[in-house]
Amino acid sequence: MNDIIFLIINGITVASIYGLIAVAVSITWSALGLLNLSYGFIFSFAGYGAWLAERHIYGEPVFVMFMGIAAGVVGGIMVCLLVFIPVHDKPNFTIRGMIGTLAVSLIGGQILLQNFGPKAKLLPEFFGYGKIKILDVTLTADKIGIICSSILMLTIVVRWMKSSRRGLEIRAMMMNPHAASIVGIGVRKTGIYVMAVTGAMTGLSAALLSQTYYLSPFSGLTPMIKGVSIALMGGLGSVKGAVIAAIILGFNEALTTKFLGGRYVLMTQFALIIIVLIIRPRGIAGILDKAREA
Amino acid sequence: MSDIKTKKRKTWKNPLAVWGAKGGNYEVPTPEWKNPHQIWKDTKAFKVPTTKIGRFHYEYKSSNHGEKIWNRLRWWPTRRTILWTQGVYNRKSLKPEKIRKDKRPIFWFLSLLALAIMPFILPDGYKNSLLTAGGIFGIYASINLCWTLVIGTAGIFSLATYAIVGMSAFLTTWLSINLGLPWWMLPMIGMFVGLAFGVIIALPALRLDGFYYGLLTLGLNELCRVFITTSHAFGAASGGLYGADTFINDNWAPMAQTLVQYYSGFALLIAALFLFRFVDGKRLGRILKLAPEKKEAFAEASGVNYKRARVTVFLISSIALGFIGGFYAAYYRGSAFDIFSFHTVIMGLAMITIGGIGRADGAVAGTLIIVVLDRVLVELGPYRYIIIGLIMMFTILFLKNGLFGIRKQFRDWRDKKKGEARSSRLERGGEMLPEQATEIDNKDEIYRKRYDKMQREFLKTLICDEIIEEHKQKPLGQHSEALERVCYYFRRGAMNDKYVVKCEVPFKKYKIMALSGVRGRSPRLVEDKIYDTVEAAYHGLFLRRIQDLMEA
Amino acid sequence: MSNILEIKGLSAGYGPLRVIHDLDLIIQSGERVGIVGLNGHGKTTLFYAIAGLTHWQRGSIKISGKEIGRTRSQGPGRYTHIVVKEGLAIMPQGDEIFHGLTVEEHLDSGAFTPESWKNRKQKREEILEIFEPLKKLIHTPVGRLSGGERRMVSIGRGMMSEAKLYMADEPTLGLAPKIGKGVLEALLKIDLKDSAMIIAEQNVALLEGKVDRIIGMHAGKLKGEASSSLSMGLKN
Repeated sequence: MNDIIFLIINGITVASIYGLIAVAVSITWSALGLLNLSYGFIFSFAGYGAWLAERHIYGEPVFVMFMGIAAGVVGGIMVCLLVFIPVHDKPNFTIRGMIGTLAVSLIGGQILLQNFGPKAKLLPEFFGYGKIKILDVTLTADKIGIICSSILMLTIVVRWMKSSRRGLEIRAMMMNPHAASIVGIGVRKTGIYVMAVTGAMTGLSAALLSQTYYLSPFSGLTPMIKGVSIALMGGLGSVKGAVIAAIILGFNEALTTKFLGGRYVLMTQFALIIIVLIIRPRGIAGILDKAREA
Repeated sequence: MSDIKTKKRKTWKNPLAVWGAKGGNYEVPTPEWKNPHQIWKDTKAFKVPTTKIGRFHYEYKSSNHGEKIWNRLRWWPTRRTILWTQGVYNRKSLKPEKIRKDKRPIFWFLSLLALAIMPFILPDGYKNSLLTAGGIFGIYASINLCWTLVIGTAGIFSLATYAIVGMSAFLTTWLSINLGLPWWMLPMIGMFVGLAFGVIIALPALRLDGFYYGLLTLGLNELCRVFITTSHAFGAASGGLYGADTFINDNWAPMAQTLVQYYSGFALLIAALFLFRFVDGKRLGRILKLAPEKKEAFAEASGVNYKRARVTVFLISSIALGFIGGFYAAYYRGSAFDIFSFHTVIMGLAMITIGGIGRADGAVAGTLIIVVLDRVLVELGPYRYIIIGLIMMFTILFLKNGLFGIRKQFRDWRDKKKGEARSSRLERGGEMLPEQATEIDNKDEIYRKRYDKMQREFLKTLICDEIIEEHKQKPLGQHSEALERVCYYFRRGAMNDKYVVKCEVPFKKYKIMALSGVRGRSPRLVEDKIYDTVEAAYHGLFLRRIQDLMEA
Repeated sequence: MSNILEIKGLSAGYGPLRVIHDLDLIIQSGERVGIVGLNGHGKTTLFYAIAGLTHWQRGSIKISGKEIGRTRSQGPGRYTHIVVKEGLAIMPQGDEIFHGLTVEEHLDSGAFTPESWKNRKQKREEILEIFEPLKKLIHTPVGRLSGGERRMVSIGRGMMSEAKLYMADEPTLGLAPKIGKGVLEALLKIDLKDSAMIIAEQNVALLEGKVDRIIGMHAGKLKGEASSSLSMGLKN
């Protein structure tokens, strides 16, 4: 029993990190119509930003984490300026935008490789090594920290999108870009906001993941693909759906590891995703609200 | 300044002065004579540089043998004529000529010929590395052609192409090692593997649209990679699975081995091109062209079963990809894990986007560019990926559909510019555009407007202080030529809104009115100003008309 | 009396197609103008050209003397938000709404200009006074409303900002005659003060006698009391 709870907590920890990227992918797709596959690059970029900050400026964990988020924001804005703004009003935007983000991640990954080398880097533990025991289950400070900080980040983003003027702008753009321009919403300006916010989320996930695993020029790839799968299962464009999907996939990961073995995690995961998508082509949230026309 | 003006100024002498010039001036300063025909010539002049014959002067025309302008030579057994030849008569010399309407077969033939004789013309120093790269190019170009069938023709945005190839390669290698299958069996078995995977991957494609499917297949790619790399059967430790039977004999001379590799890759490319031609250009491709993106519902309503065609194309290309996978295994004696990596997907996407998605020539040319950068210019190191990334960025930022879409993009741009330029030529009351001209029943009106505009343009150049002064002195009687032309034009004007002088009190009060132009509707008063003499009123009216002329 | 909208020599179109031909239009403050024409004669394109949403356009467009028209040949909608900030409220044709937003949020989304964002609550109250039926639906997602209610929301959204020029594109299109009339009446109820309003309609009878002047639109040109005589009258 303890084992299962331990695994579930593991799963939730992983899910909360990947969930951040999933929500970022989701928001970018639905607000901008951009399938951003450069989150892998933004992830590594933010990780190296945090690492550099830790090395050269100040090693305080909170500061390093914030630097990671800041680097993520910078990376997001960079992708926006390079790909979204020049291409967004041209024909075949979706496919061109996707290829553009791939090109950015190709170039960016190579530049990171040139500057930092292929050796893996490690960030310090942000949350210390404390342990709490609740009902026979040991919770490390690390896991609690990861879960709490990602939930905090998500809550802030969701609150911001719900209540602020910019958030309303972004949501309006998600639903009907043409009507949004009629109302007076500047697509390019909003694009920068969206990419900055999603970049911040990726940055946080990069900082959190790099302290548990490691950081390398292409380490963002797996989190991105996992994030994309979660976003897909949740339904692109839905924050709620992405959160639910992240939790489901987290559980799946924990249970599969326990009963079948780690090798089969991806298989059960994709079987799950395909089943959900075949039942509901727009993912879990496909029923919750109308997603953007693809 | 004024001296020059006075020097240029001419004097006009009233030809009636000899007889007393009753009511007219004897001699007045007048502007220099201008040729009234000049504006007509300028407007009529065709300013676009033209060539002697025909519009497409760059189009090569071959001369004809004999008097016939048609050609009945056909590709046996089809009814297709050899090249798309159109016979025309030269418009000037009236000699029969032939135009090749579609020159693509010529380019295809020449470039494939160049590839075929490549081993004999390459310098010895580079021969080995270039031919190896050529073999790789053949395989990748075939994969990309099949991928183009999926993305372009079928419109299914699948990123799992390399996954199918890889799975087929790994499974056939494994079978070859464990069962000792000969090399020629590998592509055959690969076809079945490809079909099986195609069916599995095609299932979600029926339900999911566009980019959902793309992302899902990206995940499937990752799934295959993790599955293969973690399984012991496929040699998890060694970075790949090798040991399959191959058609390249180790006992041959190294150059013979390379040549066999090169030509087998070339043959695969030719086969893939034929497959592309027969799927894209025949019934299936045409059905799918009837159902372009976002118009599927309409196609379905018209009785086009596009879904079935899509899945068929997908399965056909999956089988072909499986074949290529088996071939790959027999070619390399196995396969590396690299084929499943995200990097391979990016490279593949770069290949098909640089050339242009949905076109065979685009897929092949894009593959050539990337393979040359990736495999030949190896000494550039990691910079070559940065260069590839920059080329991709350039393509998506500036080109609508890759290199081979430039032609259409240029033509669209030219059409747009033409439309804009045409709209800018329009001025009020001037010439009419074709679309306006259709609304007018009396076609004489169109010509009259054109003439009228030219005349007004000319008269505007005549208006100057001299003729106004001249008119002020004597509104009636013989005038100088410039003034006379202006007055004639004014007198000839249409009845509506034509200014007239109204006499309120004879010899005391005159006013200016404008006629309505409609029978029974009274004229309207234009201004309240009262002129004392009829001459002053004439002049006031003249000034008003000049103002209207200059403003219009 | 000042000129709110001053269009001179406007041509606009999509690609090689030209929809509006060298059009002049002057609209003064406090005026309510109806533009009547059949489908495909350029009413919507005229509105889009003012908002900078056509593919290309040339000619001068001035809103209260400020030039917003530019010779553009690319990027429809690229400058729309700037134009809207100059004081333009567009009530577009058809279903240009945000399905997932509630009525309240939807109305707020009309007030993106910084000034109107501040007093959006008060403005919202005013609009709900005009559109009584929306009061009950204030927290319903717009996607669930009926056609008439959607149109009301769409028009209400246009009324949220302190615009100088309101442009309503076929407000009654596709609505039942009774509801359409109600929507139109609500439009006519707006207190214009210094601003002006253009209503495009296919049905002359709906506008007759209710607006200050009616301009016909035919094949991309304005017919009737468009502007030329008016502008001349002003000049003298």
